[in-house]
Amino acid sequence: MNVRLIASITLLAAGTVTAQSPKATYTPPKTPWGDPDLQGVWPGNMGVPMQRPVALGARTTLTNEEFAKKQEQALRQAKADSESTAASDTKPGIGPPSYWTERGKPTRQTSLIVDPPDGRLPALTPEAEHYRKEAKLPGEWRGKADSPEDLNIYYRCITRGLLGSVIPVVYNNGNQILQTPGYVVFRNEMIHESRVIPLDGRPHVSPAIRMYLGDSRGHWEGSTLVVETTNFTDKDAIGSNGAGYPGDPGYHSDQLKVIEKFTRTGPKSLDYTATVIDPKTWTKPWTMLIQLEKDDSYQIIEYACHEGNYAMGDILSGAREAETKKDVH
Amino acid sequence: MKSLFGLSFLALSVTLLCGQTATYKPPRMADGHPNLNGIWEAMNTANWNLLDHPASAGPMWELGAIAAVPAGQGVVEGKVIPYKPEAAAKQKENFKNRRTDDPEAKCYMPGIPRANYMPYPFQIVQTNRDILFVYEYATSNRLINMGKPQEAPSDTWMGTNNGRWEGDTLVIDVTGLNGLAWLDRAGDFASDKVHIVERFTRTGADHLTYTATIEDPSVFTKTWTISMPLYRKVEKDAQLLEFKCTEFAEELLYGKYKKAK
Repeated sequence: MNVRLIASITLLAAGTVTAQSPKATYTPPKTPWGDPDLQGVWPGNMGVPMQRPVALGARTTLTNEEFAKKQEQALRQAKADSESTAASDTKPGIGPPSYWTERGKPTRQTSLIVDPPDGRLPALTPEAEHYRKEAKLPGEWRGKADSPEDLNIYYRCITRGLLGSVIPVVYNNGNQILQTPGYVVFRNEMIHESRVIPLDGRPHVSPAIRMYLGDSRGHWEGSTLVVETTNFTDKDAIGSNGAGYPGDPGYHSDQLKVIEKFTRTGPKSLDYTATVIDPKTWTKPWTMLIQLEKDDSYQIIEYACHEGNYAMGDILSGAREAETKKDVH
Repeated sequence: MKSLFGLSFLALSVTLLCGQTATYKPPRMADGHPNLNGIWEAMNTANWNLLDHPASAGPMWELGAIAAVPAGQGVVEGKVIPYKPEAAAKQKENFKNRRTDDPEAKCYMPGIPRANYMPYPFQIVQTNRDILFVYEYATSNRLINMGKPQEAPSDTWMGTNNGRWEGDTLVIDVTGLNGLAWLDRAGDFASDKVHIVERFTRTGADHLTYTATIEDPSVFTKTWTISMPLYRKVEKDAQLLEFKCTEFAEELLYGKYKKAK
């Protein structure tokens, strides 16, 4: 009886835990070799903005009214999407037809960024401000297109970066966790990335080796998987819809260190947090929280981004064509 | 001295006789199946040419001996790829245009079986449910479904992979390949009708034997098989690194669309 009472109090507490401090009150099942079992498909959920609207201040969750409104909007959108057909989506535009789009399930979370407490990115260092202005980094939605390097790394189908790969995007948001003794693999549908994370405490590779997704090492803290990643390039960005989109965190330096925590909070829920530490870019570390829901019916399908990147040729050749037009007039 | 020599000679002949020894006892997972976990790589020239071939110049003289083709003994059982006449012609055409047309040059996903014998390591991640193959080349990967076999939902580069155990051998049935990948740099190919059955067997602490049976009546007159050992990377710090080659192929693919300087 007592045990049951304690259990229900614990459950109650879990339900009211704020976004900033997910507590592991749930004990996940174990793999046959004794590690906490995080395996399954955990698709990302669109609909939470990266940064919190300033008006919401330090408020981490929506009010009942705000949430009801959001749900209503989602219903309207779902209806519009289901009525949309290929034929009605043939008018020229950028982006996929609406019936491809994954809109996600509304949640009360007001921003992915949960620290600093205002849910907004900390200030850039003067060095990073200067770099972003001077370097004319790619990332404009429709910027110049003299060569592929003018487009961001997501357009180029190179990667969305380590955090970009987890931040939900317009479609193909599948994430899968697989485990084997000594390793955890975090697999992302977009763009077919698989991070194989050793758990054996080995040191990072040499700083001479730089990778878009960095070099990850994991360990268990209780039932939480903690992954520390270093050895990044300075060529990738952190973006909520790919790399370097306006208004998003944007480019980081090669000093970036990311600490991710994977904590199962229930049979079907997992809190994913990532703390971004890059003293060359941001004046202080910041943390985002993505609450993932298990969906083993979700099938990850190969996303052959580069192989099917007709857009790149079209964008570049279109830009060349536009130049000839300009010359004529 | 003499007896020691005799002993090692005996050991050597036992090894030779047993070859891929049936008496090797593989380490096992909790479910009793052999543990195939590890970082593996082929050590042959199959990616240049599945068949026996002498050394030759590469497709770009500018690169001198760097891009030359090492000689190699083939991996095709029976030493012949049984092309239909029109397919044989297509292979020759592919070979002629290999510098620009080989999907490897474009950094496209390698497809199956080629992914397993490219000169890059791959990691087998064997879970208590499914098995993931993670390839260093082009961050390609494929999940082997060990549950109820599934029909290919769509054609893909890496295929739909249904696995099962036959004794201690992992058998993977591959369908739903899109037929766009080549089988090697010599332009060998199959179509989107291809059906591949792969077999992975642990034959030693650091060896797997890999075979792939390739069936495609639209391209070949009969089913044929490739076979090779795969070697474990035994370095203590062995791990997959990143070979995101897209940016290395952009000039080749899009150079013609770039703004003239």
